[in-house]
Amino acid sequence: MKLRHYETFYLLHPDLSDEERTAVSEKLKQIIISGDGQLVKIDPWPLQKLAYRVQKQTQGYYVVMEYGASAESIIEITRRLRLDEGVLKFFTTKISQEFDAEALAKAREESAPPSETVETVEETLNSTQSTEKREEE
Amino acid sequence: MQNPRDIKDNRNRRRRIYIRRKVCRFCADKSLTIDYKDHRTLRHFITERGKILPRRITGTCAKHQRRLTTAIKQARIMALLPFTSGHILKD
Repeated sequence: MKLRHYETFYLLHPDLSDEERTAVSEKLKQIIISGDGQLVKIDPWPLQKLAYRVQKQTQGYYVVMEYGASAESIIEITRRLRLDEGVLKFFTTKISQEFDAEALAKAREESAPPSETVETVEETLNSTQSTEKREEE
Repeated sequence: MQNPRDIKDNRNRRRRIYIRRKVCRFCADKSLTIDYKDHRTLRHFITERGKILPRRITGTCAKHQRRLTTAIKQARIMALLPFTSGHILKD
């Protein structure tokens, strides 16, 4: 089965506890792995204000998940997210047609050490203006 | 965020002298990518009402404007950006 590179971005209910939130990503991870896929990263965002009310909630936890999976696993993941009441919104996008785990890991290794040093230098330079860093990038 | 009215004022004042050519932000800085999750960057390209700013105001090139509009629309779906200011939460 062919693996493609996907990304799922979902919004969780603000009343969920840490365990409940990790349980959701754990469940998705299992679906990906059982479908012979591979997880690249899980990036949970801190509690954030929403632009408009969603199911009467004004805040929520966003999570970004990047993985390589087959089309069948995607169907299962969307079914799962639809059933879960703690998930307010979700959005899956295809990053690329091919999924090359080795190339991704290599790119990460190469980019990780220098980016760390850059960040620390920037933090010491302007520790007060953390928002500007994003704009500079 | 740029207010379109400010731009117009500037243009009237120094119309004869010099009009600054706007450059596409994403062409000038190749490392900048358009991502629907990056709502802080996308916020520069919408008005206070939440409308998408036209190219003639932001100076974005056609290629990047196309990508911007889809990114903004995707961000709206995910509640990162407002559809309209009427729905913006007041606290």
